Amino acid sequence: MKWLRNIIEVWVYEMKCALFDEGVIVFFIIVPFLYPLLYAYLYNNESVREVPTVVVDNSHSQLSREFVRRVDATGDVDIVSYCQDMEEAKEMIHQREAYGLIYIPKDFAKDVAEHRQTTVELYSDMSGILYYKAVFSSCTEVSLEMNKEIKATLIPGATEQQISAFQYPIEYQYVPMFNTQSGFCTFIIPAVLMLIIQQTMVLGVGMMAGEEREKVRKHIAEPHIIGKNPSEVLFGKSTVIFTIYIIVAVYLVCIVPMLFNLVHIWRWQTLLAFMVPFIAACVFFSISLSSIAHDRESFIIMFVFLSIPLLFASGISWPSSNIPIFWKGFSWLFPSTFGINGYVRITEMGATLEDVQYELNALWIQTFVYGAISYLVYKRTYGKQLWA
Amino acid sequence: MNKGFNQIIAIAKREEKRILSRGLYTFCMVIAPVVAFLFFTTLMGEGLPAELPAGVVDEDNTATTREVIRNLDAFQQTNIIEHYPDFASARKAMQQGKIYSFYYIPAGTTQLAISGKQPVVSFYTAASYLIPGSLAYRDMKMMSEYASGAVGRASLYARGYTEDQAMAVLQPIKMEMHAVNNPSLNYSVYLSNTILPGIIMLLIMQVAIYSIYVEMKEETAQQWLAMADNDIVKALIGKLLPQIVTWTLMGLLCLFMLYGVWRFPLNSGIWPMLLDMFLLINASLALGVFFCGLVPSLRWALSLATLWGVLSFPISGFSFPHWAFPNTLKGLAWLFPLRHYFLIYVDQALNGLPLRYSWLNIAIMLAFWALPIMLLGRLRKFLLEYHYTH
Repeated sequence: MKWLRNIIEVWVYEMKCALFDEGVIVFFIIVPFLYPLLYAYLYNNESVREVPTVVVDNSHSQLSREFVRRVDATGDVDIVSYCQDMEEAKEMIHQREAYGLIYIPKDFAKDVAEHRQTTVELYSDMSGILYYKAVFSSCTEVSLEMNKEIKATLIPGATEQQISAFQYPIEYQYVPMFNTQSGFCTFIIPAVLMLIIQQTMVLGVGMMAGEEREKVRKHIAEPHIIGKNPSEVLFGKSTVIFTIYIIVAVYLVCIVPMLFNLVHIWRWQTLLAFMVPFIAACVFFSISLSSIAHDRESFIIMFVFLSIPLLFASGISWPSSNIPIFWKGFSWLFPSTFGINGYVRITEMGATLEDVQYELNALWIQTFVYGAISYLVYKRTYGKQLWA
Repeated sequence: MNKGFNQIIAIAKREEKRILSRGLYTFCMVIAPVVAFLFFTTLMGEGLPAELPAGVVDEDNTATTREVIRNLDAFQQTNIIEHYPDFASARKAMQQGKIYSFYYIPAGTTQLAISGKQPVVSFYTAASYLIPGSLAYRDMKMMSEYASGAVGRASLYARGYTEDQAMAVLQPIKMEMHAVNNPSLNYSVYLSNTILPGIIMLLIMQVAIYSIYVEMKEETAQQWLAMADNDIVKALIGKLLPQIVTWTLMGLLCLFMLYGVWRFPLNSGIWPMLLDMFLLINASLALGVFFCGLVPSLRWALSLATLWGVLSFPISGFSFPHWAFPNTLKGLAWLFPLRHYFLIYVDQALNGLPLRYSWLNIAIMLAFWALPIMLLGRLRKFLLEYHYTH
């Protein structure tokens, strides 16, 4: 049982290294703990749905006021002001007091009364993604509703049922599934949580490896390595990171979603069976990468910026069906790509383990491939030291 | 004066050598930004994602419903990849990530429609995926309106209505949406215009901090300052000069990709955006030096810069609107250069307003240099007297 004692020795030593290194603690514990809180605080605001909008009402009729009142009552648009003319309305948009504009023409009420189709014009500021849809869908909903009422007066002698059948021979309903509020928080946070696991691990492991590299350059020996073979060192080190991140992951993927009332309809067995290969893949991915760490700090500059492309490569924002094949291949190198997709579907869409089989397989493949690379890295690094 | 100038040049040359001697600098100052530029612009090269995988559950399966499905498939954003036998299997396909949406037509729909009994069809989208979800919503809603409208129009024509009269009955009030300045709703315009400068900003801060405090770690800081007669201003100018030159080239490349290659809206002409980029580079360097003056530790200064840099993306307000943030954070946003860069971009390149609309943001970007200037004495002391510790 010498190998077991060796592994335990490495484990204890490395655990101490990790927990007594202020820099590593920042990445392994403080960032994962605080960052999601900050993010959730940033996005956890219901009023995002109310886009400030101005109205130019040239019709000045009861009908136009009714239209505006109903649009104001929708959840997505907040009418902040009536403007005299388009110039004034545009100026308010330029001053960032409003992000949408509703223009009601002079003949609005007259056209409707005289059975002519009338057009309301909508404008949205294009500086943000969410404005266009909010203004367009709210006004469309209201117009459909009012059209239903207006047409009752248009076909003389028709019954309600007949009129309804003219308007909608086939009725339809829309059901947004899983993220039923279409909330921004629910959309972005789960992806960010998974990315935090991978990125903080890469940075922390990179820092630990950089420290070792610096010691080697200064010819400071590592006592706990002596007399052990690379696989024992690898096993000891990787289980240290794995242990820490199992705890971190419980906080990130279970507690945070509950804390902020994000959609979470997972079964814990599914989540566990998915998170184990994800964390394992991250551990070996981090160790493989850490072979290029030159010093303690270089990984911070090399890998933080990558978080942003990685968030997009996962397909959570720009759909993965439309990611060019070259970047898709690039995204397959990172556990976060599969981790994010699997986690989102398990936690928000109630996917079972078979539903995320593809992601699960990919993570296991990554675990073995990066595990093998890690072994080779350790063999090269510690091999000389041990048997020389 | 002349001596000071020569000292600065000497330090700049020394810095150039240091930069060229380590692959880390080449990676962070050239390779990383270029790869990021290419990544974002080609990732979203389509502008608006087309042909999103969708499914259909057609329990009715008549000539009419097949026609509806064919029409839906013809929409630009929708690509029907599979027919599912029932609701449960379509839902399963969504959970497996195969489709973003599906259209459900229950049995008897056609029969009920003919007899005027208003059957109900439904469409479902995976709202966890915000962008494909809402695009699928748009197509399916249009399709449903269209299908209804076609049947309604036909029966009104049969009653002798003209087209105008029919439209006045079916849709008395019509909505016309104008997406000024980004009519194709190009997502890359929304995102790349701020993400690319944001990545530059993050790297500028980190590289500046690393290049300053690595001197403490390698115990060359005294030598560096001695070259400037221990004048921290000259020492910093000399050190940052090669970085400013490199980042300016990277900034120009970024603007060239956005407005030259991809032809994103540039209603102000290029000059205001050149100014915007120049201000961003400067404010980022200023923040980098400021963090160095704040904490005498390479790691902590880098950690602060990283926090600031990563937070810049959500807080600048290009994805989630700034006015919806809690009030504390709304105020805090003033301290992020990327927020000002974004606002200047919106006024200038996107909306083509006169420069006076952006004066406040321009002034604040310039004022970022005040932050490190306050701490220069401290930084000098740190560099001369402190030693690197873990």
